[in-house]
Amino acid sequence: METDKAVSVSKLSRHFGKFIAVDEISFEVNRGEIFGFLGANGAGKTTAIKMLCGLLKPTSGEATVAGFSINSETAKIKKNIGYMSQKFSLYDDLTVKENIEFYGGIYGLSREKISGKTDQLISELNLDKMKNSLTKSLPLGWKQRLALSTSLLHDPSIIFLDEPTGGVDPISRRNFWRIIYEIAGSGKTVFVTTHYMDEAEYCNRISIMHKGKIIELGTPTGLKQKYNKTTMQDIFIHIVGRN
Amino acid sequence: MRQIFYLVQKEFRQIFRDFSMVRILFVVPLIQIFILGNAITTDVKNIKIVFQDQDKTPYSREFINRFVHSKYFKITGFEEDYTRLSSYLDSGKASLAIVIPRHFQRDIVLQKKPDIQLLVDGVDGNSAGVSLGYITDIVQQYQERLIEYSPDLSLQVKNIRRVETEPRFWFNPNLESKLYIVPGIIALILLIITLFLTSMGIVREKEIGTLEQLMVTPIRSYQLVIGKIIPFSILGMLEIMISMGFVYLIFGIGVKGSLLLLLFESSIFIISTLGLGIFISTISDTQQQALFVAWFFMIFAILLSGFFIPIANMPPVIQHITRLNPLRYYIVILREIYLKGTTFKDLIPETLAMVTFSTCLFFAAVMRFRKKLG
Ligand SMILES: Nc1ncnc2c1ncn2[C@@H]1O[C@H](COP(=O)(O)OP(=O)(O)OP(=O)(O)O)[C@@H](O)[C@H]1O
Ligand SMILES: [Mg+2]
Repeated sequence: METDKAVSVSKLSRHFGKFIAVDEISFEVNRGEIFGFLGANGAGKTTAIKMLCGLLKPTSGEATVAGFSINSETAKIKKNIGYMSQKFSLYDDLTVKENIEFYGGIYGLSREKISGKTDQLISELNLDKMKNSLTKSLPLGWKQRLALSTSLLHDPSIIFLDEPTGGVDPISRRNFWRIIYEIAGSGKTVFVTTHYMDEAEYCNRISIMHKGKIIELGTPTGLKQKYNKTTMQDIFIHIVGRN
Repeated sequence: MRQIFYLVQKEFRQIFRDFSMVRILFVVPLIQIFILGNAITTDVKNIKIVFQDQDKTPYSREFINRFVHSKYFKITGFEEDYTRLSSYLDSGKASLAIVIPRHFQRDIVLQKKPDIQLLVDGVDGNSAGVSLGYITDIVQQYQERLIEYSPDLSLQVKNIRRVETEPRFWFNPNLESKLYIVPGIIALILLIITLFLTSMGIVREKEIGTLEQLMVTPIRSYQLVIGKIIPFSILGMLEIMISMGFVYLIFGIGVKGSLLLLLFESSIFIISTLGLGIFISTISDTQQQALFVAWFFMIFAILLSGFFIPIANMPPVIQHITRLNPLRYYIVILREIYLKGTTFKDLIPETLAMVTFSTCLFFAAVMRFRKKLG
């Protein structure tokens, strides 16, 4: 029964001193689903994701990720998730190849597997000409795709993407989402936060976060019917404005 | 284990990718050894001296002449006006004023013991003490000459010699401060390089977000620590050898004792600087902060090491505090091995103290690092 839930969150909170960044949120994410997290700046999206990835201890509440508790089994969670943070977090001063090799090594892949994966990624990303260039010389869109690929090196069942397309041009964004679909198609769960309302439409289900609380959750079509609007943009403005 | 290999490999790639890093490693010690080795000197020479000769007799001139011919003194002037003497000291035109009283010659001849007045600039207590020593010497020689040529004294009396000491300084026969200072500079370079590299290196990863990325991988924090420590220790060792090479080339000072022992002791010392670097990284969020904090600790470590200020000159409470400072022991050890060729057996107390405080510092820092990473 538990097995078909990739993530299951129950009354999860995180306080910073007196400030409540995440306020008793509860939800579930199914396996193979693309689950979107919407919310204005400072809504608490990153804080929630960090707790699920084991980067931040919750103040109270419980959650399981890939069936493991975020309070007591973070080591097991780390083997099963990929994470792409809001900040670009590859090494700018290493080449594309060196970055892939490094993260592959850190995830404990064998040497043959690393070199196989490296070739595969480089050809998939069309980075053949750039593979020995420093990562900082790549255009932002490519950097993001490289970061996504490296966070998938160890074949995790769930991947957390925190604003993966921030600051990227529309074409690159569409390409990025094509990859996200492929990932979900291969049976992985994708947990993604975004500011872009058109991206929200691509998700199987979305939750809208506001001031640390989840104030709406459903499928894009379901929400459109419920609020009688035609775009996610209108729904978002309507709901957040109401609160 | 393999994770550590990849961490170390990555660290070396980053270090040697950036040319400025290589520059720091090689050029900084060269410049520091060259400049500090020549500039920091506790030898007191060319002491500037102003005279007031109220007597102006052959005796007083003979007295002054002894200063003229001493390599330690440099006469900057003669001042007639007693009230203006202090202005020489104030302006730094002289650090010493000597007043020869009126009737100097007459009093000597009448055996009435004339008093010479000395005004010493005591701001630099060390130099003041040394110059006093030189003056006492000169006065004593002058006196002996007076006795020798005194017509009234019998030969017997003249031959009564007071006890004379003739000191011979071992290991550093000319008491050349370079010899004494240079091993200390090597210690400082090692401290600076390893402390700054470690703290800035970790904080940099915090700043750019790669530390967070590493924390979502299954890697353990002890592996992360080892992955940082190995490359920086190797760099530290490399740095020591580069520095010793420069010291030999520039000053011709080589290591008297065992090189292996020296490297062994250095590796113990590095444990403390790496530990301190890790600690600093846990209390800093940006590289600037880390730089500032590292600077702060470095100054303390140096001031309380006995390098500039002799520990015996410190208040007793501070003297006890210096016992907690690994740099204090390391400088002593380095000097001993460098100048005397002291063997391990005679360095055991210092080594033990250094091991104790280095490992305490290191483990406290690592505990804090692990706790911070959650
Ligand atoms: N370490 C911290 N200490 C104190 N406050 C924090 C900390 N981290 C986050 N916050 C606060 O918690 C709130 C939620 O931050 P969070 O980063 O989770 O928002 P977000 O939804 O990801 O916003 P954005 O869209 O800007 O990324 C913000 O008001 C932020 O200032
Ligand atoms: Mg965020």
